[in-house]
Amino acid sequence: MTKVLTIDDELIIRMSCERALSSVGYEVKTASGGKEGIGILEKERFNLVLLDLKMPDVDGIEVLKLIRVKWPDTKVIIITGYGTDQTAEETIKHGAHYLLEKPFTPDKLLSAINETLRL
Amino acid sequence: MTKNLFHIKESITTKLIIAIGVLIISGSMIFWYAILEKQEKYLTSIAIKNGVSFIEYIKKGNRNNMLHFLRDEIQQTLQDISIAEGVEGVRIFDHTGKIFYSTFEEEIAKHIDTTSIACRGCHTDIEESSALLTESKKWNIYRKKEGFTVLKLIEPIFNEPACYTSECHVHIKGQDILGFVEADLSLALLDEAKVKQKQALTAYVIIFILAISVSLMIIIYKIVSKPVRELVNGMERVSTGDLDHSVSINSSDEIGKLAEAFNSMTRDIKASRHKMEEWTKTLEDEVARKTDEIKKTHDALVQTEKLASLGRMAAGVAHEINNPLTGIVTFSYLLLKRFPPESTEAEDIQIIIDQTERCAKIIKNLLAFARASSTEKGEININDVLKKAIFMVKNQEKFHNIIFNLNIDDLSLKTIGEEHKFQQIFLNMLINAADAMNERGSMTVSTRKASVEGKNYVEIEFTDTGSGINEKDMSKLFEPFFTTKPIGQGTGLGLSITHGIVSQFGGHIKVKTKVGKGTSFFIRLPLLNPEK
Repeated sequence: MTKVLTIDDELIIRMSCERALSSVGYEVKTASGGKEGIGILEKERFNLVLLDLKMPDVDGIEVLKLIRVKWPDTKVIIITGYGTDQTAEETIKHGAHYLLEKPFTPDKLLSAINETLRL
Repeated sequence: MTKNLFHIKESITTKLIIAIGVLIISGSMIFWYAILEKQEKYLTSIAIKNGVSFIEYIKKGNRNNMLHFLRDEIQQTLQDISIAEGVEGVRIFDHTGKIFYSTFEEEIAKHIDTTSIACRGCHTDIEESSALLTESKKWNIYRKKEGFTVLKLIEPIFNEPACYTSECHVHIKGQDILGFVEADLSLALLDEAKVKQKQALTAYVIIFILAISVSLMIIIYKIVSKPVRELVNGMERVSTGDLDHSVSINSSDEIGKLAEAFNSMTRDIKASRHKMEEWTKTLEDEVARKTDEIKKTHDALVQTEKLASLGRMAAGVAHEINNPLTGIVTFSYLLLKRFPPESTEAEDIQIIIDQTERCAKIIKNLLAFARASSTEKGEININDVLKKAIFMVKNQEKFHNIIFNLNIDDLSLKTIGEEHKFQQIFLNMLINAADAMNERGSMTVSTRKASVEGKNYVEIEFTDTGSGINEKDMSKLFEPFFTTKPIGQGTGLGLSITHGIVSQFGGHIKVKTKVGKGTSFFIRLPLLNPEK
């Protein structure tokens, strides 16, 4: 079973991802911040991480850099509300696999995940 | 100043009057004196002539008595004559001065006073010698105690044949002068006439002086005093700023010329002042115009800043809204799957999803628009910017009744510039087109490659079916603050700014218009890497 971790400080995003993905058979866990996300990652292995960029404790970019170093097999999709913001584009350079703009539909999310996992 | 001028004027008049008055009075006095002198001499000469005639009468009247030596008769004749008015006395004496006959009987047989005029009239000094004066004066005038003057006349009685041949043989042949007749004649009447004449003449002279003085004063007043006063008055009025005043002196003399020069000077000053006032007014107008321009620019800047703030705020809000929108979309989808596809519930939920996606699209554009406020110069895809601008306006009320014909080339048409500036000019063009059509009509927006004079451009065409631009306005189209929109609706800066931005990035604008049909604007910007 594909394991997905959603790291976002917004509850509604975490809920949306969890419901959209679990309904189609994904195993989903959530974290409300960078610190908590890293803690979960330390314990378990995930196929994919849905990562928000702007979070109050540890920034999404920092989490991304850590994942790339510690768990290179784990794929990362950046979810951002800033569209094609320059910061978001930078994340691709740092090894993010996909950039998903908010708001997204469950279909868009699934196609993004599928595309990423195929890589 | 005024006081001084007044003084000068006063002294001119006074000096003239005094000088001319003194001359007239002195002249009149001399004239008066000369007339009196001449008159006196003339009257005296008449008196002397009459006196001589009088003595001649005595001599002729007594000739016979003398020839016959009728002494009593002679004495009687003298007595009779002395009664006549004006005859003070008559005496006859011989060459030694012995009086033979006299109206004063007590004198007879006495000698006359040798110091008297009777002797001094002919002799140089009778006491010393009997020498005679070359020009003998036979008369003298003296004043009597009573106050009147008396003419004393003396006439010799010459020897003649009858004298020395008569029976008495008193006189001898060789003797020249036998004796003298002396008469004292009163000049009282003459004195009186002289006094009257003197009085009359004096009166005439005084009247003459007065008349001349008055006439002179009037003439000086008219010729000098009055015009000078008018001039001074005029100068005072002009010096206090009344430049409309002119001195009315209608004479051709020096004062008239001075007045004319003064009037001309006043007119010149007035003209200069008028010119200066005009300059000042022009300057004021210019300052007012510039102030207005600055105010409009300032207002436009404030407006831009307001829009920028609003954009930033909208961007913040939009970003926050993306999170709940994700929730709405996700859960709507999940809900949708619980209902059969053709059910009413499924349709309703689909509407929620569609509208939420519409919100998402609006926000995406809003964010893109707000991001475009970056001032960094770089490669710009014109079609992207144009699409964003069209998207921005499409949902506005102003464009609800406008049909868009978009011929936007899918090719990547790139140029170098600042995205927000291009966005600004595209929005300007779209809004202007909507205004030109009164927000109703069709608008064509096309992009294409264009080659002008060997240079490659991205050409963006905005064509409206509006009112068109008349020839008069065409020349002013890109001037700042030129607007045909109602007051308060347009700043007149839109096209000016557009022109400025296009020129800044090496482009230009072409306009084609037909009044009543519509207008096409062609914005051409240098094409980047046309071969790619």
